[in-house]
Amino acid sequence: MSEGDPLLRVRDLKVGYEVRGDLIVPVEGVSFDLNSREVIGLVGDAGSGKSTTALALLGMARPPGKILGGEVYFEGRDLLKLPDAEMRAIRGRDIGIIVQNPRAALNPMLRVGRQIGFAYRAHNEVTAGEARAQAIEMLRLVGINDPERRVEAYAHELSGGMAQRALIAMALSSTPRLLIADEPTSGLDVTIQAQFLDEMWQSVQKTGSAMLMVTQELGVIANFCDRVLVLHKGRIVEDAPVHQFFAAPQHPYSQEVLRFYHERASGYPAQVTGGAGFLQTLGLTKHFPLRGSDKVVQAVDNVTISVAKGEAVGLVGESGSGKTTVGRCLMRLEHPTAGSVFLDRQDITKLSAAHMRRMRSRMQIVFQDPFDSVNPRWSVADILVEPLRVHDDGKKADRWDRAVAALKQVDLDPSLMARKPRDLGASTLQRINIARALICNPDFVVLDEPTSVLAPRARNSLIALLARLQKELGISYLFISHDLTTVRYLCQRVAVMYLGQIVEEGTVEQVFTDPQHPYSRALLSAHLMPDPTHRRVDNPLPTALEGEIPSPIDVPKGCYLASRCPDVNEVCRANPQTLIDLGQGRAVRCERVLGGENSSQMEVAQ
Amino acid sequence: MAAATQELMPEQATYIPPAHRADWLMRIGVSIVTLVIFLAIFGPYIGPYDPTRTTIRIAVPPPGFTEMPRLFWAWIDGTLDHPPHWMGTDANGYDIFSRVIAAPRTDLKIALLANILSLIAGIFFGLVAGYWRNWSTELLIRVSDVLQSFPVFIMAMVLVALAGRSATNIIIALAFVYTPIYLRLTRAEVLSQTSRGFVEAARAMGNSELSIAMRHVLPNSLTPALIQSSVTIGFAILLTAGLSFVGAGVRPPTPEWGLMISTGANQIVLGEWWPSVFPGLAISLTVFGFAVLGNALERRYERG
Amino acid sequence: MLLRYITRRTLIGFVQLFCLVIAVFFLIRLLPADPVSRLVGLNSSPEAYEQAARQLGLHRSLFDQLGIYLGLNPEIAQGLLQGSLGTSWATGSSVGSEITTFLPVTLQLITLAFILAFVISIPVGMLGALNPGKAADKGIFVYSLFAGSQPEFWWGLLFVYVFYFQLGWAPAPLGQLSPMTFPPEPVTGFMLIDTLIAGEPAKFFEALHHLMMPVITLAFILSGPIIKMVRQNMVRALQSDFVLYANLIGLPGKRVARYALRAAMGPSMTLIGILYGFMLSGAVLVESVFSLGGIGQYAIRSVLAFDYPAIQGVVLVITAISLIVYLALDLIHAAIDPRIAY
Repeated sequence: MSEGDPLLRVRDLKVGYEVRGDLIVPVEGVSFDLNSREVIGLVGDAGSGKSTTALALLGMARPPGKILGGEVYFEGRDLLKLPDAEMRAIRGRDIGIIVQNPRAALNPMLRVGRQIGFAYRAHNEVTAGEARAQAIEMLRLVGINDPERRVEAYAHELSGGMAQRALIAMALSSTPRLLIADEPTSGLDVTIQAQFLDEMWQSVQKTGSAMLMVTQELGVIANFCDRVLVLHKGRIVEDAPVHQFFAAPQHPYSQEVLRFYHERASGYPAQVTGGAGFLQTLGLTKHFPLRGSDKVVQAVDNVTISVAKGEAVGLVGESGSGKTTVGRCLMRLEHPTAGSVFLDRQDITKLSAAHMRRMRSRMQIVFQDPFDSVNPRWSVADILVEPLRVHDDGKKADRWDRAVAALKQVDLDPSLMARKPRDLGASTLQRINIARALICNPDFVVLDEPTSVLAPRARNSLIALLARLQKELGISYLFISHDLTTVRYLCQRVAVMYLGQIVEEGTVEQVFTDPQHPYSRALLSAHLMPDPTHRRVDNPLPTALEGEIPSPIDVPKGCYLASRCPDVNEVCRANPQTLIDLGQGRAVRCERVLGGENSSQMEVAQ
Repeated sequence: MAAATQELMPEQATYIPPAHRADWLMRIGVSIVTLVIFLAIFGPYIGPYDPTRTTIRIAVPPPGFTEMPRLFWAWIDGTLDHPPHWMGTDANGYDIFSRVIAAPRTDLKIALLANILSLIAGIFFGLVAGYWRNWSTELLIRVSDVLQSFPVFIMAMVLVALAGRSATNIIIALAFVYTPIYLRLTRAEVLSQTSRGFVEAARAMGNSELSIAMRHVLPNSLTPALIQSSVTIGFAILLTAGLSFVGAGVRPPTPEWGLMISTGANQIVLGEWWPSVFPGLAISLTVFGFAVLGNALERRYERG
Repeated sequence: MLLRYITRRTLIGFVQLFCLVIAVFFLIRLLPADPVSRLVGLNSSPEAYEQAARQLGLHRSLFDQLGIYLGLNPEIAQGLLQGSLGTSWATGSSVGSEITTFLPVTLQLITLAFILAFVISIPVGMLGALNPGKAADKGIFVYSLFAGSQPEFWWGLLFVYVFYFQLGWAPAPLGQLSPMTFPPEPVTGFMLIDTLIAGEPAKFFEALHHLMMPVITLAFILSGPIIKMVRQNMVRALQSDFVLYANLIGLPGKRVARYALRAAMGPSMTLIGILYGFMLSGAVLVESVFSLGGIGQYAIRSVLAFDYPAIQGVVLVITAISLIVYLALDLIHAAIDPRIAY
C-alpha cells in the first residue's frame, strides 16, 4: 500500500437481517474512503443504519443482523474475508471503537482498570502490572484527573462522561490507526459533551489516528470533522468536505437536513406584559433523604420563579441541576421540603389531596419520554379521554369529539384514535401527550424536556407547535430543558440552574446575547453551532469548564461552581454566593460579576 | 431511553434467538392439554369398565402390540365375553385403562381450582404489597417469604393429612402453597410498572391512587402470573399425584394417577410393571404438555 | 458492612423461623385430625383415650402446650430453649436424635444429585447457548422442558424395574445398604463418609451402588430446569452490550467467554435456591421409593401418624436449612456481582 492510498476503503457494504422469513436490508450498499489522520463524520437519521455500518466495518453485526456482502479494505486487506483470529488482532489494535452507551459497554463486574488492562494485553505482550500502568496513563491522557483512584472503580460508579472516557482509554490504548466513535456523546450533558469532544479530538491528534464519527448532530460534524458522509436509505448519498457540505449540499436529502438549520426564526419572542406571578414559587426547596444515613440529597435550594399569564419561562440546566425536581414540585408529584408554590394566588402545597386532584385540571405536565408516559395497552382514544373522565368534564357522549378536536389541534389526523402507542413514532406520540395535557384547558403546563428524545429535525416542529398553541390558548409554560438553544425560540424569560440553585435569570435576549454568570457562558459556548467557519477545534475557547459537577450530597461551602470556574479565586471558594438582583428582571449569582471582575468577553456564537 | 429504542431498528433491542422456534412443539403441547381436558370431562364415561369397580380378573397383563388389532376387531364384532383390558388390570382387579382415562377429572379439577384460588389471592396480595408500600405490606411479604422457603410438598402433606384426605382439602392446601409464587411474581411486576412514566402521568392528571392501581397498574401486571399458571397447573398435578403416592392425597378407590402408581409399586418387584407404568406415563405426558404450553405462552408474551 | 448484612439476615431468619414454628404449632392443633385415636386405636375405651391424651399433653390449653414446647416450663418437659425438640409420639425417642439420624441421608442424596445434575447440565446448557437455534439446541431445549416436568417417584420405579428387575445392574431398593450388611459406626451420619472413616471401603462402594439409582433419578429431574437456566442466562449474557463490546475491542475468545459466564452466574443463584426447595420435595418421594430412610420418609411417617412433635421438628429443621441456603446463595451472588450493594 503506497503513501497516497486511503487507510480504509469500503465498497458496497450490505448488512441485513431476517424477520419472519423476510429479508430486511438497512444497509444497502455503502461505499466510501477514509485517509490517514482524517476525521470524517457519518450523519443520518435515527434508524438509518449508521451504527450498523460502524459495527460492520469491524466485521460484526448485532444479532439477528448479518453482513451480506461488500468489501472493507483496511490497509489493503479485506477485513470481511479474514479469519476470526486475525480479525480479533485488528480489532482494538489497528481499529478502535467507542459506542453509544458507555456504561453498558463496560463489564459491570470488573474494575475499569482491569478491563483496560485486558484490552491492552490482548494486543501487547505485557505483564499485568505493566498493563495497569498503561491503563492509568491512558486515563490521564483522556483527561481524567485522578486516574490512580478511578482505575479501581466499577462501571456503575462512574458518570456517563467518565465511562465514555474510560472507553476511549480502552480504544486508544494500543494506538490504533483508526478510531470509530458511534454517537459517543448521546446522553451526555452539553458541557460534558463539549469537554469530551475536545479531549477526544486532542487524544486522536496525539496518537495520529484517523477518526470516523457517527452522529445525528450536525453541530458535532461542523466543529470537528474534515469531511461529511450522509447516510440515507442505506446508502451514502453525499460525500463532501465539510465547508462545501454546509455551504452547498448537493443531494436533496442533505438539503432538507440543512434546511431546518437555516430556517430558524431570528429574533426573540416578544415579552409578555401583565398577569405577572400567575405561577409563583417562593423559596422552593427539596431535599431527598439518603437511606441509611443522615445526609440528604440537596436537589433544589431556595428557588423562586415567577411565570406570568400567557408567558413561557425556560428553566435550563444539566443533569444534577434540579430542574426536573422543580417541575415535579410544581406539580406536587414531590412534596417540597420548604417553600410554597402558588397558582393564581392559591398555595397548592397546602391543599388537601382531594382539592389538589381537582386543581390538577388547571395544571398539566408533559414528560420527556413520550412512550413511557402512556399506558402501552391503551389506544390513543383511551389516552386522550382519560383526563376528561378523571375530572368528569363535560358529557360522556362529547368526549370522543373532544379527543378528536384535541388531535386536530396538534396537527394530527383523527384516524390515529384507534392506534396503539407502539405503532407510532416518538414525535407523533409526544404531540398526543401535548394534546392530552391540553384537553382539559389547563392554565399552566410544565414541559419537562419534551424534545430531548426526538431527532433534531423533529424538535423544531414541536417547538413551533408549542409556540402556536401558546398564542392561541394563552397558557403559561414552564419549559425545562438542558439545551439553551431550544429555549430561545419559545420562551420569553429564562432561568439557568446549577446544582439546585438558580445562577442567572433574565429575558432570553439578555441571557443569550450577554450571559453574565460563568456557567451560563460555558453552557452557551458549549453548544456546537453547525457552522464550519468558526470551528471549535480551530478556536479553543477560554470559557470551557473543567471537571464535573459536585455531588448534591456534599455541596461545596462556597460558590458551587468553584471547582470548575475559569475565573475562580479564594473568595469564591470560601463564600456562598447569593442571587443578586441586577434590576429589570435580571439576576446573577456571582459576586465577581457584580464587581466586573471576569475575564474578557468571549464571542458567543449566535 | 425507550423512545430512542422505538425509532431505531432491532439493532438496539435485545434479541433472544429462537432455539425453540418449534411451533410443532407448541402444537404438541396444545394437543396434550386439549386431550387431558377432554378426558377430564368425558373420561369416566368412555372407558370400557367402571373405574371404581373391580373385576375378577386380577393382575392381567396388557395385550401385546401385535395382538391389539385382532382384539379390537373381535371386541367390535362382539365375539369377546368381556372388553379387552388394554392396559391390563392391577392386583385388585381394576381395569387400568379405564382408570387412567378417568383420573384426569380428579387431577385436573384439583389442579385447576387450586390454581384459580391461588391466582386470585396471589394477584390481589401482590398488587397490594407492590403498590402500597408500608409496614403492613412489608409484613405480608415476609410472611410470604417464609411460606415459600418451606418445601412445598411437605407443607402440603402436613395440611392434607391433618385436615383430612379429601379433594377439597387438597385444593385448599395447594392454593395455600402456590399463592406465594403468584404473589411474588405479581408484586415484582407491579413494582416495575409503578416506576413507569404513565403511572406518574396518571397521578399528575388527578387520578386517585386506587384508580391508578386498578386501571393502569393491575392490567399491566397480570401477564407474568398468567403465563406461570400453565406451568403451575402441571406442577399441581405432580404434587397431587405425589401426595396420593405417599398416602396423603385422595382416598381410594378414586381414580388418580399417583394413587395407581402407589398401589402398583409393590408389584414392580414381581415384574408386573403395567399398573404403575401406564399412569406414570400419563402424568409424564400431561405435565410435559402443560410445561410446553406455558413455555409457548411465555415466548409469545415476552416478545411483547 | 458485610457483617452487618449477615447479622441482619440471620436475625430476620430467626424471627421468621420462630414465627413459622409457632404458626405450624397452632395450625396442626387446630386441624381436625385426632392424634390420640391414632395411638390408642379407634375402639379404645374412654379411659384409655383420656390417659393417652394426658400422656401426650393434649389436656392442657394450647398456650400451655406452646409454652412447654418452647421450653418455658423445663420442669415439665425440655423445650426449645433447652435445645430439645421434644419426644416423638410414635416411637418415643427424642425427635432431635431421630432427625440427626435421618437428615444426613437426605442431605447426602440431594448434594450428590445436585453435583451430578450440574456436571451434566452446565456443559449441555452452554452447548445450547453457543449454538442457538440449531438442531442440538432445539433438542436440548425440548429435553429440558421434558425432564423438569417428570414425576420423580415414577421414574424411580421405572429405573427399579429396568435396572434392577430386568438388567440386574442396580441393587434392590431396600435402603442405603443391603439388609444383610452391617452399617458402620455412625460418626457424621453421612453413610459415604462413615464407611470411609470406619475403614471399610467395600461398604463404601456398596453404599454408592445403592445410591446410584436415587441420585440418577433426582439428577435427571434437576437437569431440566438447570439446563434451561444455564442456556437462558448464557444467551442473555452473550447478547449483552458489554460482551459485544468486548468482541469489538478484540479481546481473545476465551476472555469473552469468561465475561459471559460470570454474568450468567449471578441470576442463576436465585434459581438454585428455588431448585433446592424443589429438591427437598423430590427427595421425599425418591426416598420412599428406594427406602433410604432419610428425613423425607421420616416426615411422611410422622405426618401419617399425626406425630405432632416430630412434624414440628421436621418443619423447624428444614426451614432453618432453607434459610441458611438462601442466605449463602445471596452472599455468593453479591460476591459475583459488585452492583449488588448492602
